[in-house]
Amino acid sequence: MGKMYEVANRYNNYRDYTKEFTEVGRSIRRPDGPDKVKGSVRYTDDLTLPRMVYGKLLRSKHAHANIVKIDYSKALELEGVLAVITGEDCPIPYGIVPHNANEHALAVGKVRNWGEPVAAVAATTEEIAEKALELIEVEYEVLEALVDPREAVKRDDVRIHEDSPNNICYEGIQIYGDPEKALAEADYVLEQDYYSSYVNHGFIEPQSALADFNVATGKLHLYATCQVPHYTHQQLAKVLEMPLNKIRITVPLIGGGFGGKGVASQADFCASILSRKIGRPVKITYERSEVFATNNGRHPCYMKMKLGFDKTGKITACDFTNLMDGGAYAGWGIVVLFYTASMVHIPYMIPNVRFDGKRIYTNKPTCGAFRGLGGVQPRFAMEQMLDQAAAHFGMDPYEIRMLNAAESGYTAMSKMYIPHTEYKKCLTECVEKSGYKEKHGKLPFGKGIGLSGGYYISGTSYTLYLSYKPHTVATIKVDEENDVTVYCGATDIGQGVDMVMAQMAAETLGVKTEDVTVIPRDTSVSTFDLGTFASRLTFATGWAIRQAAEKINAELKPVAAGMLGIRGDEVEVQGGEFYNIYKPKQRVPWREVVSSYIQTNGPLSMTGQFTPPRRKGIQQGGNIGHSPTFGFSAQIAEVDVDLETGKINVVKITEAGDCGVAINPQSVEGQVHGSIQMGMGQALYEEMKIAPDGTFLNPSFHDYKLPTALDMPEIDANIVDAYDPSAPYGAKESGEGPIQPTIPAIFNAVYDAIGVRFTEMPLTPEKVLNAIKEQKAKGVF
Amino acid sequence: MKQIITLNINNQNYDVVVTPMDLLVDVIRKTVGLTGTKKGCGQGDCGACTVLIDGKPELSCIKLAVASVGKKITTIEGIANEDGTLHPIQDAFLDHGAVQCGFCTPGMILSAKALVDRNPNPTQKEIKTAISGNTCRCTGYINIIEAIESYANSVAEKEAK
Amino acid sequence: MNILSNFQYHAPKTKAEVLELLADIGDRSKMLAGGTDLIIMLKEKMIETENIINIGDVEELAGIKFTDEGVEIGACTKIADIENSTELVKDYNALVHAAGELGSYQVRTMATLGGNISHSSPAGETPTPLAALNASVVIESKRGTRVVKAEDFILGNRKNVLEKDEMLTKFVIPAPAANSATVYGYIGLRNAMEIDAVNMAVNVELEADKKTVKSVKLVMGSVSPKPIVSEAVPALLVGKELNEDLVEKIGEAAMSEAKPISDIRASAEYRKDVVGALARRLTKEAYELAMEA
Repeated sequence: MGKMYEVANRYNNYRDYTKEFTEVGRSIRRPDGPDKVKGSVRYTDDLTLPRMVYGKLLRSKHAHANIVKIDYSKALELEGVLAVITGEDCPIPYGIVPHNANEHALAVGKVRNWGEPVAAVAATTEEIAEKALELIEVEYEVLEALVDPREAVKRDDVRIHEDSPNNICYEGIQIYGDPEKALAEADYVLEQDYYSSYVNHGFIEPQSALADFNVATGKLHLYATCQVPHYTHQQLAKVLEMPLNKIRITVPLIGGGFGGKGVASQADFCASILSRKIGRPVKITYERSEVFATNNGRHPCYMKMKLGFDKTGKITACDFTNLMDGGAYAGWGIVVLFYTASMVHIPYMIPNVRFDGKRIYTNKPTCGAFRGLGGVQPRFAMEQMLDQAAAHFGMDPYEIRMLNAAESGYTAMSKMYIPHTEYKKCLTECVEKSGYKEKHGKLPFGKGIGLSGGYYISGTSYTLYLSYKPHTVATIKVDEENDVTVYCGATDIGQGVDMVMAQMAAETLGVKTEDVTVIPRDTSVSTFDLGTFASRLTFATGWAIRQAAEKINAELKPVAAGMLGIRGDEVEVQGGEFYNIYKPKQRVPWREVVSSYIQTNGPLSMTGQFTPPRRKGIQQGGNIGHSPTFGFSAQIAEVDVDLETGKINVVKITEAGDCGVAINPQSVEGQVHGSIQMGMGQALYEEMKIAPDGTFLNPSFHDYKLPTALDMPEIDANIVDAYDPSAPYGAKESGEGPIQPTIPAIFNAVYDAIGVRFTEMPLTPEKVLNAIKEQKAKGVF
Repeated sequence: MKQIITLNINNQNYDVVVTPMDLLVDVIRKTVGLTGTKKGCGQGDCGACTVLIDGKPELSCIKLAVASVGKKITTIEGIANEDGTLHPIQDAFLDHGAVQCGFCTPGMILSAKALVDRNPNPTQKEIKTAISGNTCRCTGYINIIEAIESYANSVAEKEAK
Repeated sequence: MNILSNFQYHAPKTKAEVLELLADIGDRSKMLAGGTDLIIMLKEKMIETENIINIGDVEELAGIKFTDEGVEIGACTKIADIENSTELVKDYNALVHAAGELGSYQVRTMATLGGNISHSSPAGETPTPLAALNASVVIESKRGTRVVKAEDFILGNRKNVLEKDEMLTKFVIPAPAANSATVYGYIGLRNAMEIDAVNMAVNVELEADKKTVKSVKLVMGSVSPKPIVSEAVPALLVGKELNEDLVEKIGEAAMSEAKPISDIRASAEYRKDVVGALARRLTKEAYELAMEA
């Protein structure tokens, strides 16, 4: 092996890289696109296996009840029913955060939210399985349900989990600097309560799991709608008491995730347990109401935020109290709690920060990870307060943000380090493009314009369990038969990471993206990856792929040099050819070099890895929120308020985002458009509604209202010129940063339109009309 | 209760055994095996199950299979050209980045194609109206609307010639 | 739930066959036209039925036919056919507008005009414009034919005047009076796919002077179990010219007549507020259009 080059993890040596790209930066068609538009691609529920049967879950109608007795004897007698399982068959708890794992595949002894599954049936047809559910008799002892965290925290007499006094799932306090003193000395202090709402991802593909337990080999093969196959793999092993190497998870294409498929679903466990019990493949696919019962959506937060400013408008302190409604189980809760803590440290420089947060259990479907998790809530508060402060100081909302914005190289009090940011550019670009300065404060009553900024992490620095292993591993195989094959466990949930990985591999290897095949994720085929969350993939897979590709180049370049008759360090590769950098006409096709290499050296494959730098926070939970780098976005919303009905029409959103270099600009645009749609939905009408007894009132798309095509504003999405030198190919996240500013931008625009500050989502016409009536009574218009 | 009916799907007759209770979406997906038609909500709200019946978009998750006898049913699998190459509307979706997770895509394309078939010069409002029953959670619809506009323009140009 | 409970399926091809079936098993049957409400109710186990009579393929029950007196619309005419009708839009725009706001386009290609009113949901889109346009509903059975006014058809939430052996066969809408106009409007959270918080249709007819109101019919939907035809608004307006002061009073009058409920979609108070807004807007709009008519 002619290793002329020392190839190390160049993460800390990134300044060497070129900024000129050929494959990166192309808006190529998605490789999975043709099969998607033809309907020939298979999602989990599209799969069938020989002898496959169907599973269904029986769900509780009560939000809080002890299970006295379950009698499924009549269900078992129904012809075609093969098995029924209950909590007795799955007593081991699971949870994505291991030291706080308290979920069960089926309720054990007690149900804690409406729709929690209590039994599962396997039958030869869906019809029989559904009929069997009706034959299962469950006797409940109904308990008082707690649906408001503000009450639940006071009710130690009604413990949702016996081991959680006052229904506190987790709590934490962080103090950086001396916020008390800073607030006392501040020139201007602003304090306000906010409430952020209870929303669901609304992905269109319901969760589905197809489990195939091979009794003869003792191996389980699960096909599942799963964003985080690695964590699901671990939890299956725990609940089923099986070694990891007997479990294989294949993730077919996923029909949207947005974080909601970032935990193992009860379908995953129940299908697996049923399959093991009956020795046949079992498929469980959720109905829409079950998706709502499973939830994992955004945590509603009751927030109190206090900001101190000096006389120039600089923020001197932030005191942030957050009571989070966690729903029935732990899920991602701890992580989200401390994300809300970390998210106030950026994008503005705040020298003194206090956080006091609690995540509370309530009898509602569990909250978890949802696009932009932990950021959307405090951003909603802070970005409105900045507008209020600007008014106090007689500044433009743009100016106060520019004054406080962090710049590249900034280290926050929490030790979060920003290697690179173009946040100021984002603010300036969207202000200029929208004509904000000419419009703000000058539009007729009922029309308004609002600015907001935001940022998000571009990966995490820590695993969810204690481990120092690489977060992402990528293997690239080069051969004469397939050209380039990339193996990586990163999961494409629709965002297009498979395409992005192919583009990055092609860039370094000097071939066309179209000649790269990415093998879809499968825990026994793919190399290791933590999963799709925290906007981590572009950055993490990028470094792993780049490293693997450079190792490949280190092998191929000497061979190419030999064929060209030049020195090894005079060779470069691009466009499918190796060439002499001094005499570019001297070329040899990439494929010929590969053939020559394999004939003389044998097969060629290389593995790269990415491990994020650990910048340990010094306080409890302070490591959460640390990320190798961050993406930024600024948005300006223009709204029209119907003064007679209170209905808000969002007319236009102008966005400018810093995602570093866009690997695929069209995909970045798609992430921005989708983020704005979601943010707008939460701002205006999306909301899960729960009755006082815990009954879910709107578990359907009939009454959980997602924006339609007719509701979308005009969107002007812009990618600011940026290159993050710490990032592979200069690229960072764009999937979660752009949802951060949308909601406060709309709220700030509504303030500009009618002079009323709203502090609770959603902005229903009813709330708006009542406020307008009050304004009218005051004689404002 | 079981009966054999003949469904004409994508110009091919399928003799299928059904009960009157069977929904068209399940027969298409499970019995015939054309899984391009998706189930997203089961209540006619999301449009993922859209198929064309005699050229018009209908919701197969709230349609009885027995009520579809004698009609021409078109699913997403019937849109591409016979030789497997893409129909121009499918190309337009890919060119404009109108596809992300792809789960709404089959229904979206069928709704859009039906629109342009009946109205080759749709306004933006007409495009949005035609797809307002097809929920997409990834794209914010912007690129989908662009794709449909561009496809409609190409059809209109062809007709002008 | 996905699975429908057991039923017998009947697919008559003629109206006579339908009436025969209704006489025979009408008390144990549900009529299936577009199915956009019925199938969902069956799926959700809100109803069960022994028989389903699919009238969707009975050709003689569908179609839009213009007559000397106005227009006749078959019960099984698809909502989309009304929405897309270039002929209806001229004189019956309120109905066309309401048709275009019902559900999604897919729902409209499936759903029928007869089905929308027979479902008798308080939030139905088309009953209000039908009443405002003075439509009559033709009801047939083997026993004979009777005609009721559109506003008298719905009795309450999912209740109407149909006997078990009867069916709605067509709508007869008179040609609009000279110097008149009818408009429709609704309020919901979104711009499409809404279950209306409130909907309303207003028909204003002017005297030959094109200023003085000769008659006005204001019909509100979704604010009581059945559409309400305002009595207070005609009392205020007939014989007068519309002015801003009257517009305000019309709003108040309509609000006083509405009897909305609070549910997860909107509160009663908000629905009342919106009734006022729609009454003001739509009356003004209809009045102005009537002046130009």
